[in-house]
Amino acid sequence: MNKRGSYYRYLNRFGWLCITPAIVFFLIFMAYPILSSLYYMTRKWKGASNTFVGLGNFVRMSGDSFFWQAVGHNFIYMAIQIPLMILLALLLAVILNQGIKRLRGAFRTVFFLPCVTSLVAYSVLFRILFQTNGLLNNLLINSHILSEPIAYLANPFWANVTIILALTWRWTGYNMVFFLVGLQNIDTEIYEAAEVDGASKARQFFRITMPLLLPVILFSAVTSTSGTMQLFDEPNILTTMGGPANATMTASLYIYRQAFVTNSDFGYATALSYVVVLISGIFAYIQIRFLGNRGEK
Amino acid sequence: MNVVRKFSAARLLMWLILIIGAVLSLFPFFWMTIGMTLNPNDVIRGVIKPGSELSLNWTKATTNYNLGLFFMNSMKIALLTVFFGVIVNSLAAYGFEKYKSKARERVFGILLLTMIIPSIAVVIPMFKMFSFFSLLNTPSAIILPSIMSVFIIFFMRQNFSMFPSEIMEAARVDGAGEMVTFVRIVSPSMKASFASAAIYMFLGQWNSYLWPLMTIMSDTGKTLPIAMASMMSAYTIEYGALMIIVCISVIPVLILFLTMQKQFVAGLLGSVK
Repeated sequence: MNKRGSYYRYLNRFGWLCITPAIVFFLIFMAYPILSSLYYMTRKWKGASNTFVGLGNFVRMSGDSFFWQAVGHNFIYMAIQIPLMILLALLLAVILNQGIKRLRGAFRTVFFLPCVTSLVAYSVLFRILFQTNGLLNNLLINSHILSEPIAYLANPFWANVTIILALTWRWTGYNMVFFLVGLQNIDTEIYEAAEVDGASKARQFFRITMPLLLPVILFSAVTSTSGTMQLFDEPNILTTMGGPANATMTASLYIYRQAFVTNSDFGYATALSYVVVLISGIFAYIQIRFLGNRGEK
Repeated sequence: MNVVRKFSAARLLMWLILIIGAVLSLFPFFWMTIGMTLNPNDVIRGVIKPGSELSLNWTKATTNYNLGLFFMNSMKIALLTVFFGVIVNSLAAYGFEKYKSKARERVFGILLLTMIIPSIAVVIPMFKMFSFFSLLNTPSAIILPSIMSVFIIFFMRQNFSMFPSEIMEAARVDGAGEMVTFVRIVSPSMKASFASAAIYMFLGQWNSYLWPLMTIMSDTGKTLPIAMASMMSAYTIEYGALMIIVCISVIPVLILFLTMQKQFVAGLLGSVK
């Protein structure tokens, strides 16, 4: 008995030993920054010195319409780009799974390919493609679809369209692979039974495919939402620092610029980042409730 | 007859959608390869016939912009992150999964909770920390914060849960120490999971932009994403040379993807971004 007890202690010690390196890194590069941000958010930087302002940063934030507009842009991308991308990904996945089985592997590889580009690389490519005198406009004018070039990156509306198109190019194939895996996990016998009962293809899709795929679609919506909330590379590079005239400014980019470009005020930037944490936390809570309840059923 | 015609019209439409999708997916890759051979004006105008300035662009990219150095910086930083990251995270995952205890589950819960914190909220206080220790503008500043990854611990833990504990018991009976069991018996049978984790970490670091943008201040310390981004904000942009740098930044990931597609997708599918 005593021997078993000491052996248990040995295993328990080994368990702690295994996680120690990770915990040390966690404490230094995650826990400490989070804790120290509680101090930074109460301070205001002016040049090299900083002073205590209490909740002053939060008062200042409430009147900062540029920041709230930036948060609004994140929400616009969520509301438009994510549904668009999920529908496209779903369409491609269903076609590859049920409609056309030949070359499925090749098409899957091709659709996934945009994911190998880094966010910076594809932002650079899209910024060149979408120049006013660039390839896309020349193509559309030469094929007589447009008579006048569109200033994609100089017009606030079109700059947002460009961001949405770019995001859709980069992520549709990625989500399609999720859906394809989900579709392939659905038992084909269910469809055979539906066929016997005389259910049409459309009815099969809405009554069988969609409900069974819903958890995968939700998961994909969840990951896309958290990615969109953190959007930074695209507005900084593709539309040049959230331009034109802040039309594509996002929350993360605005915070970065407060800390490093426009004001060098780390206190205010830290306070702003708490808003992003709060929004992400609310989303995470909704997701856990939503997905968690589904799991219990 | 009518049924057959309707059926084939639907198939035609599906093929059309697939082909348009494939062309749109592939076009930027095709165009960037062409762009490497063009002069800056033709890149902008969108000429899609190969030009004759490949060697000139290559010279510009390697001499005016130090492509070789940026590539080596990126590679060194990514590989070191993968090396330490895989060791630290897989060991932690193994500890959490195979030596379960109430206290460690609680620690794991705290780790998971921090996954929802967006990076912008961590990097600003972290910048102050690195500036205090005068470590800004060093490769360590980029490597150290990326080593521990809660996602990789989570991913590896799920994979370790599929490893039968009976085999560990058998190794103990044979007198193998716990560390020996992990290194010699458990790890070799989980090469695919390690490969997925390594690919995931490599991609994250190879492509990372926000934190390097804050910490890299000298031209010699630039990684490829930072180099590309700063070329785009220059007064005159050397588009041909830029296309070469974009290509070079894509190639390692492309090779990883095409040679290890299964592990690549397995690693990405669980990703948060």
